[in-house]
Amino acid sequence: MEALKTSAPALPPGFSLRETRADGSQEYFLNMGPQHPSTHGVLKLVVRLDGETVVEVVPHLGFIHRAIEKMGENETFVQYIHLTDRMDYLSSHINNLGVCMAIEKAMGIGVPERGEYIRVLVSELQRIQSHLLWWGAFGMDLGAVSAFLYGFKEREKITQLFEELCGARLTMNFFRPGGSNADVPEGFIGKVKELLEEMKFSLDEFDTLISKNMIIRERCFGVGRLSRERAANYGCSGPVGRASGVDFDVRRDDPYSIYDRFKFEVPLGSNGDCLDRYLVRIAEMRQSVRILEQVVAAFPEGQYRSKEKASYKVPAGSYFSAVETARGMFGTYFVSDNSFKPYRVKSRSPNFSNLSALNEMAQGGKIADLVAILSTLDLIIPDIDR
Amino acid sequence: MGLMGGSPLTGPGPEGIQPGPDGGFPPLPETGGLTNAVDWVVGWARSNSLWPLVFGTSCCAIEMMATGASHNDWARFGLEVARASPRQADLIILAGTIVEKMGSRLITLYEQMPGPKYVIAMGACTISGGPFYYDSYSVVKGADRLIPVDVYVPGCPPRPEALLYGVMKLQELIKKGAWRNSLIPRPINHAPFKDEMSETAREWEAKEKLKQEGMKEAQEKFKAENPDFKGVVIKRVAAPKFDEVARVVRPARGLPPAEILALLKTFFPTLGVYNLPEPDAAKLAALGPEYVLDLTVPKEDYLPLISLLRDDARFKLDFLIELTAVDWKDRFEVIVHLLSTEKGHKVFLRCALPHDAHPELPSLTDLFSAANWHEREAWDFFGIRFTGHPDLRRLFLDDDFPGHPLRKDFEDPSRVVKRPY
Repeated sequence: MEALKTSAPALPPGFSLRETRADGSQEYFLNMGPQHPSTHGVLKLVVRLDGETVVEVVPHLGFIHRAIEKMGENETFVQYIHLTDRMDYLSSHINNLGVCMAIEKAMGIGVPERGEYIRVLVSELQRIQSHLLWWGAFGMDLGAVSAFLYGFKEREKITQLFEELCGARLTMNFFRPGGSNADVPEGFIGKVKELLEEMKFSLDEFDTLISKNMIIRERCFGVGRLSRERAANYGCSGPVGRASGVDFDVRRDDPYSIYDRFKFEVPLGSNGDCLDRYLVRIAEMRQSVRILEQVVAAFPEGQYRSKEKASYKVPAGSYFSAVETARGMFGTYFVSDNSFKPYRVKSRSPNFSNLSALNEMAQGGKIADLVAILSTLDLIIPDIDR
Repeated sequence: MGLMGGSPLTGPGPEGIQPGPDGGFPPLPETGGLTNAVDWVVGWARSNSLWPLVFGTSCCAIEMMATGASHNDWARFGLEVARASPRQADLIILAGTIVEKMGSRLITLYEQMPGPKYVIAMGACTISGGPFYYDSYSVVKGADRLIPVDVYVPGCPPRPEALLYGVMKLQELIKKGAWRNSLIPRPINHAPFKDEMSETAREWEAKEKLKQEGMKEAQEKFKAENPDFKGVVIKRVAAPKFDEVARVVRPARGLPPAEILALLKTFFPTLGVYNLPEPDAAKLAALGPEYVLDLTVPKEDYLPLISLLRDDARFKLDFLIELTAVDWKDRFEVIVHLLSTEKGHKVFLRCALPHDAHPELPSLTDLFSAANWHEREAWDFFGIRFTGHPDLRRLFLDDDFPGHPLRKDFEDPSRVVKRPY
């Protein structure tokens, strides 16, 4: 990447490539967003185009920056849980879990067996639910509206299970340090079993509809490539990183809860293109179904949480926990000065790092490919902006 | 002409004009049944073919999508033609928080919509700021501070049924004739951060006090009239008691901290460990098996150390988890979390900087592309300058935002409403 020379005409902020055109034709700049259907929220992209070819993309963030980290400093540790619901709202259970784990680490709180099973059960349901929404939106972004309807049909079943579990459909606020705030309702496991059978059927249906669709495959193959080295360098995690070959899954490589007891594979891609990112997510849904089958087969009796407290006085120090959300590694970093409220909280959001690689993925591709890339990044903008 | 009547949609109309019998528009003066019939037909047609703008900023957008998707299907209400361009839409469903930076864009979107146009505020954030009312320096405390809102749908987020109900309410209003004057500017509170909640709370408190006094009188009267009344016995369900459970500690993966420290000490003898004076293997082992090495790095060793950690085959810390900072009032600490995706171990670093206007530290962008945005975030939030950064601009906030909000001395009463409890 050549640095911008001082003599070159001024470029809009963020652009760095030098003008290399000799034939007198001109590049132009295009604003995408903040209100744009394919940015899945309020992300603004300034695209530098040479005809239809993308020369450079500069994302502009902050259109939904809600100051969650500053607010966290004025709320107790347990109160911070509900704010993480509103960051990555498609993985809210898993975000909650990350915060709870950081508090548990600080206070030395243990979780009973049934509590751990509930955690894995709910986390994996959430992962499937999130991927279902992504799958529907992915189809819609590429022009297949029927996928949206199929995806939401399946997603609604899991949403209703969650509603039965904790009363909320989206912002759950369910996990607590030491377990969860309620036990699973009666007959819940049976319903999950039914759902898993239906899921297996639906996943096959998805394959017929989209995965095996030649138009989609050719549309996505080789688009938005990211090599393993670059993906790791950009801090890409989750399906985006794994599609590029970054072989890291927090569930397997830094196991939390009781993930080390279950058998599952971590699907990897080789090309790092849109198709790989698509296939990795589909494979992840199958693996989640596999984990869930093991969970419901061995779901134990007993207490679902350990002795609870309304708030915790956390000893001075810093505490970090990492969980694998549907989008990658979600880190919670608490700094405490021996009080009931954190001195500083920082949430490491997976989308933040994944999106930073966008420029490298989109360079040299067409403007229409940018939509496919954004779609396979599976962005949640409030998670990036916090 | 009596077009500007008061209506639930528009607030009070000009003086002297009374709303119609149903609270909506007064019937048109000196017109016959034909005009009213045309009115009715147009209102009916408009209300059943609302074209919403695809506008979702956060969580509520998912419930809006769920409303549009298979299970709830807003096409039943003539609402399915969601438009991506405001020039083709006549309804904007504000799904999600509106922040300061988005505010001007929202006004532009609203102005681009052709009239008659309607606004539904979906969820607590667009009604009042919701969970982000207190302590947030960026959230606009209600979208009606920026554009006029017709229907409010409470919830966090509202269920799809609630949104459908809100749409039905809007359709009722349109049928009543409210479409006629939606072009007339309605009052907007142009104070995006003004604290109205505290005022309301004080009003409610006064009302509550009055109510309590009334209740007291009534209770005394009841007691005097019914001397035999023993009171109602409330049976409470006993809260379940839980036992404490021992925490299961899993050993950290990869190289043990003592080994990493010993290796690093050969290159950087001044290296320290956070909260552990004169560290040795025994002391580190006493911190438990899941302890992650937390190094304190002097500023001059910062870049060479991270460079070594990344490139040396023994460490291979190729993944920057996060880079952030803490304001300790007398100093800043820049915090770096590194991970080895191959070996699985983590190393945390912290580097203290003096507490002045713009402390400086070398940038990590040459080592980790991920550092680019993390450092911009630290600059935005803390005002820490990273020398050698190719593009050190604010990341989240507008360029003219005063100060760096995550500093402990940041105060902005014009934006932040402090939590009263």
